[in-house]
Amino acid sequence: MTSNDTQFDAIVVGSGITGGWAAKELTEAGLKVLMIERGRKIEHQADYETEVKAPWEMEFRGQGDAELYAREYPVQMLNRHFTEYTQNHFVNDAEQPYQKAKGKDFDWFRSYQLGGRSLTWGRQCYRWSDYDFGANKRDGFGTDWPIRYAELAPWYDKVEEFVGVSGAAEGLAQLPDGRFLPPMELNCVEQAARERIRAKYPDRLLTVGRTANLTEARPEQGRGHCQYRNICARGCSYGAYFSTQSATLPAAVKTGRLTVVTDAQVHRLEYDPATRRVSAVHWIDTKTGEHKRAASRIVFLNAGAFNSVHLLLNSASEAMPHGLANSSGVLGTHIMDHANTMAGMAAMPGFEGRTTFGNRPTGIVIPRFRNLDTLDGKGFSRGYSFQGGALQGTWTRGKRMAGIGADYKEELHRIGPWTMVLVVFADSMPRASNRLTLSNRTDPRGIRQLEIAFEHGKEEHAALADAKVEAAAMLTEAGGHVFMGFDQPGHGGTSIHEMGGARMGWDPKTSVLNRWSQAHDVANLFVTDGAQMSSSACQNPSLTYMALTARACDAAVKMLKEGAV
Amino acid sequence: MSTQHAGWSRREFAGGVALFALALGIPAAAVKLTDLAAEDAPTDRQNRLIADVSDLVIPRTDTPGAADVGVGAFVAMALAHGLNATRAPMASGMVTAALAPFQRRDGSLRHLVWLEHALDRAAGGDFLRQLRENRVALLTEFDAQAMAQGAPFSPWTAIKGLILTGYYTSEPGGSQELRYELVPGKWQWDIPIEPGMRAFSSDWTAVDFG
Repeated sequence: MTSNDTQFDAIVVGSGITGGWAAKELTEAGLKVLMIERGRKIEHQADYETEVKAPWEMEFRGQGDAELYAREYPVQMLNRHFTEYTQNHFVNDAEQPYQKAKGKDFDWFRSYQLGGRSLTWGRQCYRWSDYDFGANKRDGFGTDWPIRYAELAPWYDKVEEFVGVSGAAEGLAQLPDGRFLPPMELNCVEQAARERIRAKYPDRLLTVGRTANLTEARPEQGRGHCQYRNICARGCSYGAYFSTQSATLPAAVKTGRLTVVTDAQVHRLEYDPATRRVSAVHWIDTKTGEHKRAASRIVFLNAGAFNSVHLLLNSASEAMPHGLANSSGVLGTHIMDHANTMAGMAAMPGFEGRTTFGNRPTGIVIPRFRNLDTLDGKGFSRGYSFQGGALQGTWTRGKRMAGIGADYKEELHRIGPWTMVLVVFADSMPRASNRLTLSNRTDPRGIRQLEIAFEHGKEEHAALADAKVEAAAMLTEAGGHVFMGFDQPGHGGTSIHEMGGARMGWDPKTSVLNRWSQAHDVANLFVTDGAQMSSSACQNPSLTYMALTARACDAAVKMLKEGAV
Repeated sequence: MSTQHAGWSRREFAGGVALFALALGIPAAAVKLTDLAAEDAPTDRQNRLIADVSDLVIPRTDTPGAADVGVGAFVAMALAHGLNATRAPMASGMVTAALAPFQRRDGSLRHLVWLEHALDRAAGGDFLRQLRENRVALLTEFDAQAMAQGAPFSPWTAIKGLILTGYYTSEPGGSQELRYELVPGKWQWDIPIEPGMRAFSSDWTAVDFG
């Protein structure tokens, strides 16, 4: 692949959740596709090295080497899902540097590997509604989405049916139902909380988290049902959660039309001003340092929101001096990440004799109830929702308890008391000042680094302040004794829902992409990861990225057939 | 943490710990130590102290205790590697006169050195030379003060946390004292707690939020 000896119909940059979908949809449509992944190859099952390890088989008992983490993983180590078991599914920060604007923090959690963050994602799958697609138009932040829910609904259907999303249909306008596999049950505390909260607040519904874990096997995909281990991020040999490896990659490979290159950092798209097309994709073989290129009729960017923007910024040329597809000047701007914090935690008495068996790989969700048909948010115009759940303590509660000796050991022997946690995710407002630019510093391969300038604004703070009050009120209503709650968001990036930077819009003068996730300026270029988002909603975004990717693939194939690209 | 190989011999430290491990009947490979500064090598006495203190916290009952599974060696290694944020610089407000002598130049605390002094002080002499029942009484009081609600910061909290980690992530602690199910295979959302039912060491959410 060092020259033009292989001509592809499509090149897909990135192999995560949306890259996998692009590869699947485009190959299944008959296209010859090259998928380029900057990280190493991870083979389904064979390479999930820590999957079945017990803590006593790990050098640091699963906690990891804090000394190594401080030195090489200072950002990734802040992720709750980064452990000794999963550390090889995250980047080494020392090898993959980025810059933060002075005085502004951003914790960028990344996974550079075949499958990307599809291996480590939280698996929560929520549809957006027209409260979300209409949000920018309603309150004037950002630019209006050029699509609405009705256009995306069939694509949500399509991706959910393939992904396998377990969840309960609840008939909520703000969180539309999907094509669900049977839901996992709420535990006894959550069940009681659902009933008590609904009795007091008819507009607030606690339901089980909609998750990409199979409650029914998918033999046709070679995927087994969930084993209730809840160690997904180590990799799942059952293929029970949706990942590139478990689902989209095998489907794409099966067509015989997919070529995959790993350890290949794409650093530039070559633009031909005569044809106004991307004419080649350039990468560095990170193992040999060799520079390579390939050409294709269309290019899909699925490198991850910020990396796709980074690539466009690094692809500036004489014809497009401010970055590829950036005639509008908005490339890199209006980045978002949900403002997130633990809004409330409560002891839940009254369920002492009851417990569960198995580790359910999802929690609960209380969908948005603010600023729907009535603008009832004080100081904020959008929404927030809660995720969390009720759980029983185990030995780690001993870290906060006085006591030593046999009695103390006997106490920790027992199943601990119930607590309930509500974590809030609030809409992140699209703001021009939150943006990505190129740093003058380079990475170890000589590529200019990305600089991130991001901070939450007063709307997010107002939403989190309200969320803390409401979390406490609901936990109390559910019979709990609230002992903790926060209203200050974590650093940007904490939600791992970073998005935007190449927003979709009606007008080429104020947006990067059109309604088909296609660059206004460059007809054969599509960006279908989180970069395309014009607003953030407060739901986990991956399902929407997948639906938009499938839709864009369909549009691109039609355009190819019509000779439009 | 410095990554320089400072003056102390890593081999010597590893060798010492290996001997110590051998005495406890645990595999030396489990206490591998790398890239640590000289000043972080525990003395023999500190090794004996942390092993003893661990066993006072989690003694042998009908299941093995901390000494049986080599928790002291784990804690020594964990402290050397800074688990539980034990290599983080202490915030200035936390540094009392009692802690200041044990600070490293980077602001973090030498936990084992502090523990040795603090327990000897509590014992009014050599803590390790006290009878076990006296050591239990001394440590009970020491622990109660540190863990009391509203108590000022004490390094004991982190040490105790590491003792628990060392025990409950060992095979006997995780799978005999508690239950370990790698593959539950099913989700039972509401079952009664039977007498004697053990908590799970493999309930990862509980381990995180417990």
